[in-house]
Amino acid sequence: MSLQERLRERDRRVADLGWYEERLELKERDPIGFELLYSKMVQLVTSAHEVARRVSASPMSRELGEIIFGLYTPEGDAVALSRGLLIHVHTMSRMIKWMIEHGYEDDPGFAEGDHYFNNDPYIGGAHCPDQMIVTPIWWEGELVGWAGGLTHTPETGGSEPGGFIPFARSRFDEGLFLPCVKVAEHDMIKRDLEVLVERGIRSPIFWLTDNRAKITGSQMIREEVKGLIRQFGVDYFAKACREYIEDTRLAAEQRIRKVLPPGTYREVGWRGSVMPGDETLLHGPVAMTVTREGRLSFDYEGMSPAGRHPFQGTLPTIEGLVMNVAIQHLFYDLKHNEGVLLAVDLNVPEGSAGNPPSIFYPTALWGIAYGAGLASGQAISRAYYAKGYREEVHATSALSSAYTAGGLDQYGRPFGAHNFEFAAAGLFATAVMDGLDTAGVEFNPEGEMGDAEIWEQMLPPLYLSREIHIDGGGYGKYRGGNGVMSLYLVSGTNDIEIGGFGAAPIYSAPGLMGGYPASALYMWVGSRTNIHRLIDEGRPIPSGEGEDPANPDFVRMVEARWELIPGANRPARPAREGDLFTAMTGDGGGFGDPIERDPDLVRRDLENRVTTHWTTRHVYCVAIDPETLEVDAEETERLRRARRDERWRDGVPAQQYKARERERVLSGDFAKPTARMFHAVLGSSEAFRRAFLEFWGLPETWEMADPDREAEEVA
Amino acid sequence: MTEYADELIRDLLRDGLSSEEIEGLQRHEKDADRFAQVLRLEQERLRWRERILLCLQEHLYIVDKGDGSKVVRCDCGQEFGDYRRNWKESALVYERAGADALAVYRGPRVADPDWSILREFYCPGCATQLDVEVVPRGYPFIFNVEPDFEAFEGGEQ
Repeated sequence: MSLQERLRERDRRVADLGWYEERLELKERDPIGFELLYSKMVQLVTSAHEVARRVSASPMSRELGEIIFGLYTPEGDAVALSRGLLIHVHTMSRMIKWMIEHGYEDDPGFAEGDHYFNNDPYIGGAHCPDQMIVTPIWWEGELVGWAGGLTHTPETGGSEPGGFIPFARSRFDEGLFLPCVKVAEHDMIKRDLEVLVERGIRSPIFWLTDNRAKITGSQMIREEVKGLIRQFGVDYFAKACREYIEDTRLAAEQRIRKVLPPGTYREVGWRGSVMPGDETLLHGPVAMTVTREGRLSFDYEGMSPAGRHPFQGTLPTIEGLVMNVAIQHLFYDLKHNEGVLLAVDLNVPEGSAGNPPSIFYPTALWGIAYGAGLASGQAISRAYYAKGYREEVHATSALSSAYTAGGLDQYGRPFGAHNFEFAAAGLFATAVMDGLDTAGVEFNPEGEMGDAEIWEQMLPPLYLSREIHIDGGGYGKYRGGNGVMSLYLVSGTNDIEIGGFGAAPIYSAPGLMGGYPASALYMWVGSRTNIHRLIDEGRPIPSGEGEDPANPDFVRMVEARWELIPGANRPARPAREGDLFTAMTGDGGGFGDPIERDPDLVRRDLENRVTTHWTTRHVYCVAIDPETLEVDAEETERLRRARRDERWRDGVPAQQYKARERERVLSGDFAKPTARMFHAVLGSSEAFRRAFLEFWGLPETWEMADPDREAEEVA
Repeated sequence: MTEYADELIRDLLRDGLSSEEIEGLQRHEKDADRFAQVLRLEQERLRWRERILLCLQEHLYIVDKGDGSKVVRCDCGQEFGDYRRNWKESALVYERAGADALAVYRGPRVADPDWSILREFYCPGCATQLDVEVVPRGYPFIFNVEPDFEAFEGGEQ
C-alpha cells in the first residue's frame, strides 16, 4: 500500500469509526514492555532536543529552547514529543501529510537520508520563522515512521529585518519560503541551497546552523529508532505507535468526561491590525462545548475575515494552538501525541483570519489566531471552575512583543534579527495564586529569556536596563505576572534600523472573573539623545521606566526626541549610536476583584518593588505606611467600602446601559477600527449577525454602513 | 482513587492553601468526587435553603429554587434571574475608557478607547466586581457559561 493510500485509510477509519486503533492488544498483553518502549521513545526525542540545541549557533535554539523534536507514524501522526516549542508538534505532522498528499513519495521520493525542509505556514508552521526538517525512517525496505525537528529562526529575509514583519501586506513581504524542499540527501546538506540562504537573508548563520541542528537531531532519532526496532521487532514497534495514539485519545476523552462539565463556554480574544489607513480591530471568539459523551469542541465562528495584515494565522496554527492549550491545561500527564487532537473537534471558518482563503495572506504575527487560542484556555478554565478544580483555573497569558533590528552590526557584518526575551513574559494569575513574574509564554512553556550578554553579542543594541515591568500584570485578587521592560542603547553602528512588533493599542491579556487585563503594549524611542554626554560627565543615567509610566525615568533623565508607539508595532526606521528605545515582553491577566486582594500580598509586592504605592491605594484600596510598610487595616476597610460606594454610584443597571448603547449602535457611532471589525464580521458570520441583532433588539433588516465607503463618499 | 479531606478543599475555596499544597493538587490525578464535595462545602458555608447546582464563577452560583426554576445568585443573596439568560443583564455596568481608565492604568498602559474599553460588571447587592470585559464599544455582553443540566443529569455528574 502506498503512503497516500495508508493516509486515506487512516482518515477514513478515524472519520467513520471514531478510533485510531481498534484494540490496545499490546497494552493489555504486555503492559510493561508497552510503557518501556514509550519511555525510550520520549528519551530519544529528548536527547535529540538537548544535543541539537548545542549544535545550533542561534540563541533562539541554544538559550531559549525554541526548538522541538518528534517521532511520527508513516502517515505523519505524532507519536512522541520532546519538550520545547509545543505548539509546533502538530505543524510538522501537517507537513508530512502534505508531502504524502502531494505525491512526494513518487517524486521527489522519500529515500533514507533525505531531509525535507518547510517553513510555509499554509503547509505547517505559524509563520516564516518556523522552520522544520523531517526525515523518513526505513526498516528493511519499509517506511516505518518519520523523525523531525523544528526551530524558530530570528531572521527570514523579509521586507523588514527579524522575521516578525509588523507591516507585512502579503506573504511576499515575509521572507524566504522553502515549502517542503529537500535540503539534504544521503544525510549531506545540499550546498546550493545553503548559498540560496546565505544570499537570501540578512543573518544566514542562524538559519543554516539551525538546519544542522535539526538534521543532527532527526538522524539521532532515526538511528535510535532502528535500535528499538531491533529490540522489540518491527511489527511490535508499528502496532505500539498506533496504540500510543489510541491510548491518548481514549484517555483524553475520559479526562474530558471527568473534569469538564457539559455545557458551552464562551470567550473572546482580540488583536488589531494597525496598517496605516486600514486600522482594524480583529475578533477572535471561541465557543467551547463539552457534550455528555465527553466530546470537546472549539468553534471559532465569528472570527474576523482574513485581510492584508500580518495578524492572522493558518489552519495548522490554530490546530497547533489548540493541541498546545489542551496538552498544557487538560492532558498534561498523558502521552503527548496525535491522540489529543483526535479527542477534539474544531471549526475554523474558511476565509477567516484563522483559515485564510489563499496563501497570499501574511501570517508574520499570527495575532488573532493566537488570541483565539488563548481564549480557548480561558474557556477551559471556566469549565474547570464549574467542576470545582480551582487549582487549574487561570486568566490569560501575555501578548508578546519585542524589537527587531537590521543593518550592519558592531562587527561590520550584515545582520537582521529580533530579540526574543519575551519567552519570559508575565504569566496569568490563577484562581489560587498570583501569576509568576517573567516566567514564560503559552506557546513554549519551557522557554527562557536568554542572557542579556548573548543578545548583546547577536544584536548591536546594549542593555541599559532589564527590569520587571512594575504593575504590568492585570490587577486582581490574584494579580497577573509582570513581564520585563528593557531599555536599550544603540551602540557600535550607525547603519542600523530599529522596529518593533506588538499589537494595536488594546489591553493585551484579559483578566478573569473580576480581574483586570494586563497593561497595553507600548514602545518608546528616543533619538538625538544626550546619553553619551551624561555618561562622560558621570551624571545619573536611567535604569528603566521607574514607578510612574506616565512620566518614565528615561524621559525625565535623558534629553531626546522621544516618541511613544502605543501597541508597540513600529516599522523599522534608521537609528544612530546613542539612540534609546524600550521593548516589553507582555504581562499576564488578573483574577478576581482587586479589592479582595489580601493586603499582605500587596505589602509583599511593595517590598519586592513589583507594585507601587499609587496602585496600592488607587486600585487595591490598601492603606500602607510608605516608611514602615505597615498595613492600616481600618483605613483599608474604609477605602474598600468607599470603592464599593463608587461602584453603586457609577454602575448603571444593565438594561439602562443597553438602551443607551443601542442608540450608539443605531447611529453607527464607532471609531474606525471598531466599525471596520463590526462591519466585516457582521458581513461574514450569519451566526454573529443574529446574536448581535438579538442582543441590541435590532430589526432583521438592519445593516451596518461600510465605514470606508461612507468616508469615500464624503471625500 | 484520589480523595481529599474537606478541610483541604475548604482551604482551596477560601484561599488558604500554600503554594506547595496547590502544587500537590495540580500534580495528582484529579479526584472524581470534587464536584459534589465543593457543592456540599459551599452549601454548608452559605446555609441557603435552596440547593446549589453549580459554582458558576467567583461569588456566583446556580441554585435550584425548588419551584422548577434555576437562578444565578451571588453569595450576598442578590439574584440575577434564570441561568439560561446572561447574568450580566441584571448587573450594574460601568464602562471604563479614556480618563476613567487612568484611575486604574497609568500613562501608555491605557488602551486606546477607539479600540478597546473595559466593561466592569458589579453585583447590585454587594458591589463586588464580578467581571471585566475587554471589548470594543457596542459589543454584546459575552455570555460566558451555559451549563447543560440535562446532560449533567444523564451523564456521570
